[in-house]
Amino acid sequence: MATDRTAEVTWHGDLMSGGGRIDSVTSGAFGGLDVDWVARSQDAQTKTSPEELIAAAHAACFSMALSNGLAQSGNPADELKASATVTFQPGEGITKIALQVAGKVPGTSEEEFRQAAETAKDNCPVSKALAGVPEISVDARLEG
Amino acid sequence: MPCLQQSAATDAYASGVPRVQRSANVTWEGNVARGSGAISAATGAFSKLPYSLASRVERPDGQTSPEELLAAAHAACYAMSLAGELAGSGTPPDHLDVHATVTLDQVEDGSHRIVASELVARARVQETDAATLNKLAASASEGCPLTKLIEASATVTVNATLEGDPDGD
Repeated sequence: MATDRTAEVTWHGDLMSGGGRIDSVTSGAFGGLDVDWVARSQDAQTKTSPEELIAAAHAACFSMALSNGLAQSGNPADELKASATVTFQPGEGITKIALQVAGKVPGTSEEEFRQAAETAKDNCPVSKALAGVPEISVDARLEG
Repeated sequence: MPCLQQSAATDAYASGVPRVQRSANVTWEGNVARGSGAISAATGAFSKLPYSLASRVERPDGQTSPEELLAAAHAACYAMSLAGELAGSGTPPDHLDVHATVTLDQVEDGSHRIVASELVARARVQETDAATLNKLAASASEGCPLTKLIEASATVTVNATLEGDPDGD
């Protein structure tokens, strides 16, 4: 079954001096997030941006895929802490996404964990959708 | 330039802009079927947004998902891109409403794929017409890096209307 998720944004004025707001999303989980070009391309302060939202989407997708892969290989994770850092070069586009993950996974080795992280990186739906990014890397290590 | 990759209108301010990094963190506990995660933005703009398999492929019940975050990214990116295109042609928008809908579907091999992102824009712009808006709306999508990426494996559609236009309300 297909699932749709919608986000609504309003924008006022031109690009350089105008501003926008992510008003609402299907789930209602967040809204009222301001965005503008200066925050996006220079100092973010406390404002989100398309690239930060992509980072959030990718880290979330990757974590779920890795959790699934580990469970399928018989060593479910107790906890995964992941991050995604999106590099945006204005004028060029998104040039890199760096995923990092630290996991508490009883019964698995560093090598198995790294392999599982690579597989999750390659196969999660957001990775597939962003496969055109020139470099997507993953750094995986076990904790404790 | 923001989303734009080829527009002359925005090339001018692209030069000299250094690269930008944006991060987000996720903590996941438990397995996929019953576990859950929490998503936080490095800027603090949002934090500890819960999500789960159910919120992703079934009813959201107040929880976000990777695809919803991608929809938010695409809508925000496209709004900036369209504002740039309109301003670049001398008609900056008074107001833009942009919706992005990202569709996740199960494909033949049983895996889930993002199959579509649908952009719908409603613009309040002085002194432009529907044909010009449609042209700029298409360039705005083509110039958006996220559109380019998603288009490689999914369908991106754009539908733009002028506010006050008989077809637009």
